[in-house]
Formats: sequence, C-alpha cells, structure tokens
Amino acid sequence: MNYLLQQAINAMSLGGEYALLALGLAIVFSVMGLVNFAHGDLITVGGYAMFLVATWLGLTNPALLLPVGVFSVVLFAMFLERVAFKPVRGAPPTTGMLMAFGVSILIQNLALLFVGTRPKPVPTMDFLMTNIAIGSVLVPVVQILETVVTVVAIMLLVVFLRRTTIGMAMRAAARDVATVRLMGVRADRVVAAAFAISGLLAGLAAIFIMARRGAVDPFMGFTPVLKAFVAAVIGGFGSLPGAVIGGFALGIAEVTLQVMLPEYMAGFRDAFIFTAVGVLLLVRPQGILGQRPDFGEKS
Amino acid sequence: MTIPKRALVGALVLALCIVVVGLLVATFAAPYHQRLFFTFLINLIAVVGLQVFMGNSDITHFGHVGFMGISAYVVAILATPIAVKRTALAAAPFGLSTVEVSPLLAVAIAVLITLAVAFLVGLMMVRQTGVPAAIATLAFLVVVHVVLVNWVDLTRGPRAFYGIPVKATLGWAVAAAAFAIVLARVFRDSKWGLQLRASSEDLAAASAVGVRVRKLRFAAWMLSAFLMSIAGALFALFVGTIGPKSFYFDLTFLTLAMLILGGMHSVTGSVLGCVIVSVGVEVMRYLESGPNVAGLDLPEAFGLTGFFLGLIIVLSMTFRPSGLTGADEVDDFWHRRRLRRADVEVA
Repeated sequence: MNYLLQQAINAMSLGGEYALLALGLAIVFSVMGLVNFAHGDLITVGGYAMFLVATWLGLTNPALLLPVGVFSVVLFAMFLERVAFKPVRGAPPTTGMLMAFGVSILIQNLALLFVGTRPKPVPTMDFLMTNIAIGSVLVPVVQILETVVTVVAIMLLVVFLRRTTIGMAMRAAARDVATVRLMGVRADRVVAAAFAISGLLAGLAAIFIMARRGAVDPFMGFTPVLKAFVAAVIGGFGSLPGAVIGGFALGIAEVTLQVMLPEYMAGFRDAFIFTAVGVLLLVRPQGILGQRPDFGEKS
Repeated sequence: MTIPKRALVGALVLALCIVVVGLLVATFAAPYHQRLFFTFLINLIAVVGLQVFMGNSDITHFGHVGFMGISAYVVAILATPIAVKRTALAAAPFGLSTVEVSPLLAVAIAVLITLAVAFLVGLMMVRQTGVPAAIATLAFLVVVHVVLVNWVDLTRGPRAFYGIPVKATLGWAVAAAAFAIVLARVFRDSKWGLQLRASSEDLAAASAVGVRVRKLRFAAWMLSAFLMSIAGALFALFVGTIGPKSFYFDLTFLTLAMLILGGMHSVTGSVLGCVIVSVGVEVMRYLESGPNVAGLDLPEAFGLTGFFLGLIIVLSMTFRPSGLTGADEVDDFWHRRRLRRADVEVA
C-alpha cells in the first residue's frame, strides 16, 4: 500500500512536469502554429541563469534564486520570439519547426562553447529535497510541490484564458488570427503573451528539474522536450486540455513500466512507451482529444 | 512509366560528376583525403535518401539515421569474423556468435531487415501528417538508439562494435552514390513523385483528382529507408568500428543541415548542400582543435561544428526557406537559359 502511494506520487509529479512542458508547447503552437523545438533549451537557459547568479553574485538564497530562474526563462522565451521566430511567422509549419530546431542546436552549442561540456552545479534548494511524512510514507517535498504547482498553474491558466482580454484573444487566435486582428487586437501582443506563458511554465518545470538533478549541462533540455512532444501528440497536438492529459498519461505510463519491468529490461522503458504511442496513433491518428481537420480548414 | 528525358539527362550529369570526381580522388588524392571523400559519399547517399521522403512528401524526417543504424548493426553482427565475435559478442542471442557470412550477403540481409522495420513503422507514419508525423520520426530515432544501447548481448551496448571487415572500396561507394542520385531523381520526376509533390502542396486538390496519397507516401518512405540502409551498410564496412552514437543526433543534424541548405525539394540541391556543408564542417573541425592560423594562436573551441550547423539551418530558414536551389534541378537551369536565349533571338 505504502509502496503504491509512493509510486502514485512519483507518477503525478513526473506527469506534472511533462504537462507543464507540453502545455507550453501547445500554447505556442495553437497561437502561431510553431513547433518550438527550442522549448527544452529554455530549461537549460534557466539552469545556467541560476548557476551564473549563484557563482558570480553569490546569491544562494532560494527566495531570490527561484524567481531568477523562472524570470530568466520568461525573458529568454520572449527574446527568442523577437529575434528568431518573428521572421518565420506565417511561414509553412515545416519552416518554423526547422527554424526552432536550428535555434535549439545553436543554444546547445553556444553553451558548449562558452560554458563547457561539464555539468555545472546549481545550488540545491535544500528545503525542496527534505522529506515529509504522509502517514507512514516519506515523500520528498519537491514531488508534492511539483504536483501542487502544476495543478495551480493550470487553474490560473484556465482563468487567464477565459477571463482576460488577452487570454480570450489568444483563444480566438488559435482559431483565426486574421479575424482577431480585424477586431483590433495586435498580433504581436498575442504572440508575445503566448511565449511569455510558455516561458513561465517552462521556468516552473526548470526549477523542479534543477532541484532533482542539481546540475546543468548543455544537452539536458532534449529529453524533457521530447517527452513533452510525445505527451502533446498523445493528447492531440495543439489542444491544451490534451497536453495536460497527455502529460499525466505519459508520467503514469513511465512510472508503471518502471515498476513492472524486470531489471534487465528497465533500459528499454522509453522504447516500449514510444512504440505504444505509435500503436495508439495507428488507431487514433489525431490523439486522444485532437480533432481531424477537415479539408480546407487550417490544420 | 515515362520519365521526362530532361530529368534523366540531369540525373546522369549529376551522377557523372560524382564518378569523375571519384576517379580523380582515387588516382591523385592522399589516403587521408580519400577517407574524407568516402565519408562525403556516405553522407551524400544519406542526404539523397532523406530527400526522397522529405522533399517529395514535405514531412520532416528526423529518424532517417535510425535506418542507417539498423542496417550498419546488422552488417556488423553478420559479417564480423567468428574469431572476433567469440570474445566481443560471446552471449549473442540466436547463436549469432557462431555465424559469419560474406560482406555482400550481410549487406543484402541488412537491407531486407531495414526494409522490414521501415514497413512496420511506415504503416503508422502514412496515417500522420505534419507535426505529429515529424515527432513520430524523432521518437523512432530514440527507440532505435535505446534498443542499440540496451540490447547489450546483441550490439555490445554503448561500447564500440569493432572488428567489422573493412571491405568497402571507393569504387563501390561511388557507384552507390551515383545509383542513389539517379534513383532519387527518377522517383521525383516519375508519375508517382509528381503526384506526391502535388499532394504535399495541396492535399485536398490532389486527393480530389484521385492521387492515392497514403500509398505514395509509403512508397517514398520505403525508398528512402532503402537508400539509408545502403548508406549504413557502407558506413559499417568502411569504418570497421561503430557505436550507437554514430547514428544519433550528430549525424541527424549534419544530414538535415545539408539537405536544408541545398534545398530539400531538389536532388541537385541536396548534392550541392552536401558539398558545401562537408567543406564547411572540415574547416570548422580544423578551427575547433585550436590551430595556429597566420601566427594567431586560436583557442580550442569545442562546439564550433554544431554551432555552424545550427547557424546554417537558422540562416536558411530566415533568408531562403526553400534552400539554395529551391525546387530547381540542374537541368532546369539550362532549360531556362536556353529559353531566355530563344526569347532574345525571336526579339
């Protein structure tokens, strides 16, 4: 029983991490049709920002370090939108995707050139790594917080998308950008808001990933972003509720397999999961919540 | 099936260029440069193979290198001498450590196995479009890598697989590259290639006039996997030592950058991109090692090659999303020049 509870919390926190990242991908995709391959590198950038602040300014107080991590990611996401993704706005999806792919390679190799291959330590936030007891189970604070933060972030996002003008404009833009512009909303602001939110979600995820790993290296962003992509595809690419469902489904599947696979098969976990996703897509090509675009519709 | 004569001539001219350069390299170049040229040819086959699927169907393919890996490992497992396998691969399943076949037979089996895998993956791929399809190809690459790294008994896992007979000759590689170019060009300008390209531009219109999009996409997928398997087999038989890392992101980035720079809708473009990026990467590798240029002691700059590839992709997408050649082939350039000259004469 205790073991089950432990693993359930594992699954929820991992699922939460994937959901945060997949949501960020889905928001940007729904608003401007961009498949942001550089999303994972936002995590890396957040990690390096925390590393630099901690080593150069000597700031290791978590109350200061955590906001630095999150906001550097938000700023960097908006910066990327300005310099890299504005030129490909309105271009075919392939162009945007390859652009983001190139940007991702650039960021990774810039980090390699200027910071080096070796992982750099990010000050561990001790309070995140302590355990608390639930009943007779010891659970790391980071896992509880991750699940809670994910749920709160998703709820706030729903309120934002439904109650604020810019949020409604973003939802409208997902359907028809031209009409949104005719209504007098500036496309630039909508896209910037989408990137800011996706950066914020990635920043939150970055904090938890850093707390777990304790170090940052140039290529660490790839695995999370791949998982987030897969989660988004499972849920239905571009659908926000789909991204959340896909994220949690992937997290639960991973933890379940981790528990069930015999040790000598454990390394094959991701191969099993991706193959299963492939089979799922064979049965339901549009994902769980996705809708098949009709011919002639924007897809 | 009718292929426009102009397309055939264009393909043969490109192939002839490769053959002539190959002859020159074989006769005059130093062994080190011959090796460089060999690597270039393998990359060329891979880029052309990638073009067959990506250029005609307009679906981004991140998993092509996975097929290369499968093929290279099958060749390695089958063709490596038993004496080597007895120590390196003692626990191989299916009694494979006691089997040794000739390299040629190994290549044939490798191609068949790769095609069988491509068939299964292709069943799923053709039902996807756009972004999910691209991500599925990336997931495929990761699956191949995970299996290569974890199936230690069969592949030696993350450690290098050594002792593969180095039987590939420059002549074979040149022939394979020329063959790949002609095959890709014939497919592109065949009825099927044209239909597939039409469907990538306007799915609704193409379907309305009776183009069977899924079948054609599948055909392009299989043809692409076929060329990748040849590239992989040549790689294994040329290098003699392979590892899972040989068929992962580095090679994916490299071949994608080549294709994107040259122009993915044209076979000529993919050859051109391959030439330019190969030269560029060699220069970057040289600079990366921290050489002494004109009395200037440059620092070691690890990551310069990757930076260069990323920059190529970003700049191409910003200024010339369809690549250097666009959708033009080499014969299109001549043809247009001839038309222009004819216009002048009429005037």
